[in-house]
Amino acid sequence: MRSMLSLSIVSMGSFCSRQQPLNEVDAEENIQAAEIDRRIAQETKAEQHIHKLLLLGAGESGKSTIFKQIRLLFQTGFDEVELKSYASVIHANVYQTIKILYDGAKELAQNDPSSSKYVVCTENKDIGEKLSEIGSKMDYPYLTKEIAKEITTLWNDPAIQETYSHGNKLQVPDCAQYFMENLERFSEATYVPTKEDVLHARVRTTGVVEIQFSPVGESRKSGEVYRLYDVGGQRNERRKWIHLFEGVTSVIFCAAISEYDQLLFEDETKNRMMETKELFEWVLKQSCFEKSSFMLFLNKFDIFEKKIQKVPLNVCEWFKDYQPVGSGRQEVEHAYEFVKKKYEELYFQNSKPDRVDRAFKIYRTTVLDQKLIKKTFKLVDETLRRRNLIEAGLL
Amino acid sequence: MPQYEQHASWRLEGGGQIIDPETAVKGGILGGGGGGGGLPTGKDGSLVVAAEKIDLRKMIEELDSEAEDVPSVFICPISLEPMVDPVTLITGQTYERANILKWFSMGHLTCPTTMQELWDDAVTPNRTLYQLISAWFSQRYLQMKKRSEDVQGRAAELIQTLKKAKGQVRVQALKELHNIVISHAPVNKSVVDIAGVTHLSSLLGPFTSHAVGSEVIAILVNLTLDSDTKSNLMQPAKISLVVDLLNEGTIDTKINCTKLIEMLMAERCFRSEVVSSLSLLVALLRLVKDKRHPNGVAAGLTLLKDIGSHAQVRSLMVSVGAVPQLVELLSNPKWELKFIEPALQILDDLSTTPEGLSALKDCPQAIRTAVRLLMNGSDVCTHHALSILWAVCKLAFDECASLAVEAGLGAKLLLLRSGCNPEMKQRAAELLKLCSRNYSPTVFSSKCKLTRTIQ
Repeated sequence: MRSMLSLSIVSMGSFCSRQQPLNEVDAEENIQAAEIDRRIAQETKAEQHIHKLLLLGAGESGKSTIFKQIRLLFQTGFDEVELKSYASVIHANVYQTIKILYDGAKELAQNDPSSSKYVVCTENKDIGEKLSEIGSKMDYPYLTKEIAKEITTLWNDPAIQETYSHGNKLQVPDCAQYFMENLERFSEATYVPTKEDVLHARVRTTGVVEIQFSPVGESRKSGEVYRLYDVGGQRNERRKWIHLFEGVTSVIFCAAISEYDQLLFEDETKNRMMETKELFEWVLKQSCFEKSSFMLFLNKFDIFEKKIQKVPLNVCEWFKDYQPVGSGRQEVEHAYEFVKKKYEELYFQNSKPDRVDRAFKIYRTTVLDQKLIKKTFKLVDETLRRRNLIEAGLL
Repeated sequence: MPQYEQHASWRLEGGGQIIDPETAVKGGILGGGGGGGGLPTGKDGSLVVAAEKIDLRKMIEELDSEAEDVPSVFICPISLEPMVDPVTLITGQTYERANILKWFSMGHLTCPTTMQELWDDAVTPNRTLYQLISAWFSQRYLQMKKRSEDVQGRAAELIQTLKKAKGQVRVQALKELHNIVISHAPVNKSVVDIAGVTHLSSLLGPFTSHAVGSEVIAILVNLTLDSDTKSNLMQPAKISLVVDLLNEGTIDTKINCTKLIEMLMAERCFRSEVVSSLSLLVALLRLVKDKRHPNGVAAGLTLLKDIGSHAQVRSLMVSVGAVPQLVELLSNPKWELKFIEPALQILDDLSTTPEGLSALKDCPQAIRTAVRLLMNGSDVCTHHALSILWAVCKLAFDECASLAVEAGLGAKLLLLRSGCNPEMKQRAAELLKLCSRNYSPTVFSSKCKLTRTIQ
């Protein structure tokens, strides 16, 4: 009996000693959990002060260029390594462009057998075929001086020039001329792209990219913090992921007004402006943007200015009731005001009466112009800050 | 009477001091001291000749707004105005010559203030008093002129600063200019000259920041703008900026924007395209909806009323929901006439369009509100309410007429039919006939019981 008692006493003792380590573990876990909770709370609070901006728009409307501009203006810009990495992109763009032009010339010549304006000179035909062949591959060779010279010769061919001026029916990128004019520089062995080259470079955005920045600059802490999201513009299952952006401070919708006579990349039967119109309507109706301000960037004004002199607005179905007033500067302004009114109409038609309170502003932009983007962004910043103050009841 | 020369003040025996006008005024005996310079005096102490030549009457007129502290001895007891030709009676009382002569011509031969009978109606010009009055007003006049030049000089300086300044400096200069204009504009609308105004309006553009834009507009609404400036301001880019400010600004900025647009609308070359902007109309409706700021509501209604007078813009107004909003505004029984009248007029104008009529028909409160306001107290209200009811009942007779009658229209129309305005009488009679179509005479007259109208 004594042995059993002692056994139980001993086991009791060991019970007690086992409790202590358990308490310690618990306490530690509690501390860690509390720490994690505190950090989550802190970060959530910090998140709330970050204004989220979402760039939306059809393909090639200029979203990614704005993205690059913001990097150049408010962050450290592009470093040497990154600039160098764009060299291959630019070369690829050059090959793609010349291929589109050459193939386009052949297509237009086929459609119009009577005329010979799209027929490339016999000397240049070989160059054309070779370049078209290169352009269709996945990997492009480095742009050497010789190839650059050949491309220049082909570019100067009247048939190619004629094709370029009718570029709206093909998928010629807007910066074709910029690329062709700078071929010599691009083909240097030691070529490092400039900031402007990078702004013109064309890479289709896939997925989502984001940057965080503060307009006042890193040094002053009093600036607002913005996070800018750029999503790809081509048609894909937008409706599946758009709700992930619920509650963004502001939607920056980019519409390239110069594309009223161009066709979509994904669907060559559809007019680009009509696609943009439909996209804008769709975005306006989304309930996740009920409280977001809408900033509409009517982009590519520089190209619009030149095009309006040659191609009337009525070629686009949406603008079929446009009446031109004259020519020159006055006509450009009049046409621009017309397009602006159409977008305004679209906005109010698609905003429910209770949403009329959200901010809606239209900006005229040329996203390749850094100064202009800086000025525009200052205004956007001012608007969003005032909005904040009004909502907080301070104004 | 022999003229006496003016000397510097000299003593009489007995300790009295003979005062000459300048010293009296300068020394503050008559309260003539005060800020700024004194009278400009020549070497011999006499008043500068030019100052004397300025017509006293003209000076008094120009100083009218500022002369609250005119010494009482300068005031004619009859007209209570400063005297320009003081004459003294044998009783020793002084009056304005024209006034006392008029008093005599009415047959009175008494001194108006002492009521004493006069045995002699001689009036003696009181030269001393005249000199004092003249000196006092001259001093004030010259001070005012100098201040005004100062102000114009300061304004010109600020405009020069604005030509070069950026950022905060620019905003500060604009704020100061704004203050100057506010304090002087009622008197002098050309505080800022033409070149200055041109520069100010050039500051408005697509890239103008809110701070700059709101100050510039606040300044411009207080000045008279010439035709060129106004046409310049009607450019689409500038109007867009004004509309943006109207959407986002403080209540004062919003009111200034409405005033500016009103000024532009008064211009001859104004075209309705300038205000055919959905954003503008939405902004105005938002302003009108904001009950916390009644002066904003008033400003918004005034501008909407002016815009509504242009037929081309009416369908745009209907498309942004003006009708239900205005009806809602009118349904508040506490609003004063100054809000009700413009709102009714706008609805009346909108009812001339098919879209407007259909919106009125669809708005459930519209008819009841119109009937209630039919005899609200002003002819204007009655005219517009009657016009609206007539239009709506004609269009959708079945739906609307019975609603109106149920709301007590019948009795009110009977009252109007026996009123004085012939046009209203006729309208009322027509409407009465229209509404009574669906009812038998007995039923209808029961619906027209007078008791219904007393609310």
